[in-house]
Amino acid sequence: MSKFLRPPGARPEKEFLARCLQCGQCAQVCIFDCIRMRTGFDPFVSGTPEISPRNAPCELCMRCSAICPSDALEDVPREESKMGYAKLDRDKCYTWKGFIICRSCYERCPLKSTAMVLEKGIYPAITDGCVGCGVCEHVCPEKAIITVPTRFVT
Amino acid sequence: MKKPSIKTCRRALQIGVAVAFIVIPLLNHYRISYFTGNFLSFYAAGLPLADPLAVLQITLKNYYINVDLLIGAGIALGLAAALGTVFCSWVCPFGLLSEWSQSLSRRLLPGADKGMSVRGRGFRIKIILFALGLAGFLLFSTTPVLNQLSLPAWYSRIFQFYFEQWHISLAILFLLAILSVEFLARQRLWCRYVCPQSFLIIAAKLINPSRLKVGFQQDKCLSNKPMRPCQKVCSLSLDPKTLGETVDTECTNCGDCVVVCKKIGQALVFQFSSSKVKAKGSG
Repeated sequence: MSKFLRPPGARPEKEFLARCLQCGQCAQVCIFDCIRMRTGFDPFVSGTPEISPRNAPCELCMRCSAICPSDALEDVPREESKMGYAKLDRDKCYTWKGFIICRSCYERCPLKSTAMVLEKGIYPAITDGCVGCGVCEHVCPEKAIITVPTRFVT
Repeated sequence: MKKPSIKTCRRALQIGVAVAFIVIPLLNHYRISYFTGNFLSFYAAGLPLADPLAVLQITLKNYYINVDLLIGAGIALGLAAALGTVFCSWVCPFGLLSEWSQSLSRRLLPGADKGMSVRGRGFRIKIILFALGLAGFLLFSTTPVLNQLSLPAWYSRIFQFYFEQWHISLAILFLLAILSVEFLARQRLWCRYVCPQSFLIIAAKLINPSRLKVGFQQDKCLSNKPMRPCQKVCSLSLDPKTLGETVDTECTNCGDCVVVCKKIGQALVFQFSSSKVKAKGSG
């Protein structure tokens, strides 16, 4: 199974699929062009929205969950939009390795200081407040961060 | 100024809708989003519109009712109850393509028109296919999978895919395959026998007996050819003479027969109640 994220506010996967009308309005109102309609031949998921953060991360503007006509995307505050969870590989991260002080992920995090903090004022660390928007994964120069969609978090 | 005929108005609306669903994804691409969505769910500057079957599917699976979707499906069903299945003949872009393939076939393929009149049978096949489809959905799917059979939705989705993510959807081949089969069979097979989306609006129109219909007055009919002009022009191969009398499930009120008859005897007219004509027709 490919590892794409659902847009912010998406219900749990099974419930989401049962509600998504495949109308594509979330993708049409997304001003960051991060939501794509799923292509391919599987009739059960084709036409549903997905986000791949490596290409374009979600900026949590929440326009998509506001327009969703069937509440497959719930209109929740951005802090509660459980899309996934970011994992930081400390063996790859420039700062944790001690090469340079890189704060790309921290500076770009839409929930800065809630979802991401700087340990000892230097080392970026992801907290439980992370909603998995994927911005950090997108900006990390070393690809040290991977966003895991909620449905794969056990 | 000459008043444009019903057919001209209809074609203008059909082509307008078909073009609109090419332009809307393009506008959305440039961040103009007064109109969003496709034939499954659509917002026209705040007014919600929705495919009744799509709404039925998610209502059945989630036990949930959403006001916007209810209004959207209600508008579609209400329109059908008042004016018949005008969506099929005046709006649906696949209907337009199907009609064009049909008339092209009549012009290009040799041999006389079959002029088959299988009134009622088309609807019976549609009921069976619809029941099978809905049962399959309820048993095997949580996704509203019957949406994948909506050809107008695929028409609009092809352009959504293209203008928003530069992806050429292979659904084009699916549409072309059905159109070629209809071209060769010289019948509008999908619209008549299959289209599951049309089932609910047909059911809605049958609820209202005094909806807009084509009425027929026998004493005005001047044609005694075996293949009357009205019958010849009907893209669904129906016999318009019987439309006012029987509860006709298949007529989509396209008005082509009314236009043809206008020059001959004006025996076929659009009207809201069929009771008067019924008396004349049977008498």
